[in-house]
Amino acid sequence: MTREELTQHIIGKFGGRVIHLEAGKYDPLFEIKAEDIVDICRQLKEDPYLSFDYLANLGGVDTTEHFEVVYNLASVFKKLRVDLKVILPYDRAEIDSVIEVWPSANWYERELWELYGINVRNHPNLTRFLLPDDWDQGYPMRKDWDAPDFIRMPER
Amino acid sequence: MTLRTEEFVVNMGPHHPSTHGVCRLLLTLDGERVKKVEPIIGYLHRAIEKICENRTYPQCIPILDRFEYVTAMSCNYVFSLAAERLAQIEVPERAEYLRVIMLELNRIASHLLFYGVTAMDIGAYTPFLYGLRERELIIDLFEMTCGQRLTYNYIRIGGVSQDIPPEFAPKCREAVRIIGEKMSDYEGLLNENPIWLARTKGIGILKPEDAIAWGVSGPVLRASGVKHDLRRDDPYSIYDRFDFDIPVQPNGDTFDRYIQRLDEIRESLKIITQALDGLEGLEDNTIKAKVSPNFKPPAGEVYARIENSRGELGVYVISDGSKKPLRVKARGGSYNQLQALPLMCHDVMVADLVAIFATLDVIMPEVDR
Repeated sequence: MTREELTQHIIGKFGGRVIHLEAGKYDPLFEIKAEDIVDICRQLKEDPYLSFDYLANLGGVDTTEHFEVVYNLASVFKKLRVDLKVILPYDRAEIDSVIEVWPSANWYERELWELYGINVRNHPNLTRFLLPDDWDQGYPMRKDWDAPDFIRMPER
Repeated sequence: MTLRTEEFVVNMGPHHPSTHGVCRLLLTLDGERVKKVEPIIGYLHRAIEKICENRTYPQCIPILDRFEYVTAMSCNYVFSLAAERLAQIEVPERAEYLRVIMLELNRIASHLLFYGVTAMDIGAYTPFLYGLRERELIIDLFEMTCGQRLTYNYIRIGGVSQDIPPEFAPKCREAVRIIGEKMSDYEGLLNENPIWLARTKGIGILKPEDAIAWGVSGPVLRASGVKHDLRRDDPYSIYDRFDFDIPVQPNGDTFDRYIQRLDEIRESLKIITQALDGLEGLEDNTIKAKVSPNFKPPAGEVYARIENSRGELGVYVISDGSKKPLRVKARGGSYNQLQALPLMCHDVMVADLVAIFATLDVIMPEVDR
């Protein structure tokens, strides 16, 4: 299946629930709604033509306008790749956990919760992870966060 | 009289010689048997992703050298690949050959280190000396090329930083020959050693379906019998020109994960020989495409992934059109392998836990970032 066929297949399968984004420069990239995430992920995994059984990467993004959560999916046997993106406004930074689809999402979602302050619903273990246990200085991966002793070099 | 027994909790690490860095394992033990293991990470967190957001694209490459320093060439390469896909840069053919040679040499160096330290963790000291002796040959080749022995900053966006010196190719062929000959020594030391077999056969089995669900990749996944290699399945660079096999093992136990690495060294040696031959036939001497120091890729996002010695190494790069990336998310194979460790450690002895941990080839800077 080529990248164009994959894009058409996913658009045909989900219709208006996915928006194909041109920003994806190499593999297809789709924007989906936060409430659809578990359902679409499960269907992508169970579709016999796609079988996205492997969560390669999961990460948060702060664009200074809103949060994004990006899921990089891959299929081990079908040799396919697709990216999903969920946009979350700052005042409703909450998303459902995809652990029931891919157990490997566990640590990635803990990271999302800890470094971005995005709440992950139905996650079994949201506890301190990369940061020290007594950390109380906010969410360091947000764009408006600077380390207390960080001095920004002037732009040239 | 009955003896009162109860489970107890022990901290293994963070400063424990067999955790290869600073990983803490919270063990729940019933005597010598491990009932539950919980990896606790974060002791080496250096916020590499945040640092990259404050650097220009070329400046990110030496930072990512420190992401997974045992195969720093791969880290250089994967970020360059992402930037090249964003800006659609054509890389000169000579640079692609040089990249493949360096990536494969680095893979062999990493597997030789694995061979040494794994054997040492299980109690055999000699393999460590053998493995590091041949690794030195490769490190010398890198030093000859770019002056560095560990963090190279050699593969750049659009090509490589400098051409190889004339004495590189003969020395490289010599190293390939020596390592190829020593392979039988490595196997002779351990493969039929009864103590080694008792410590590794049938221990810590990882089922293929579990491995995929938990995102395990690379040699650990192939040792569980899944024939998945990104060099063939999601081709990058010029790997489609080379003839090599993808070894797999049937059982997914500790022994299979060890022997898998040795099989992969042989395949890498094949690729290097073919790449050196291909390099000789090239007439064009360009090693770097023209890339401005003020490199600004157009807005977009890309996830680049390559086959590293520890599994899938990927970076997700988002560009907003400025000279600094909006987001760099790096993903290393060790992260998922460590996450899947509890699956393999059900009811094993503490000493076997050390063996299982060693054959996952986890490197902590890659996990903590």
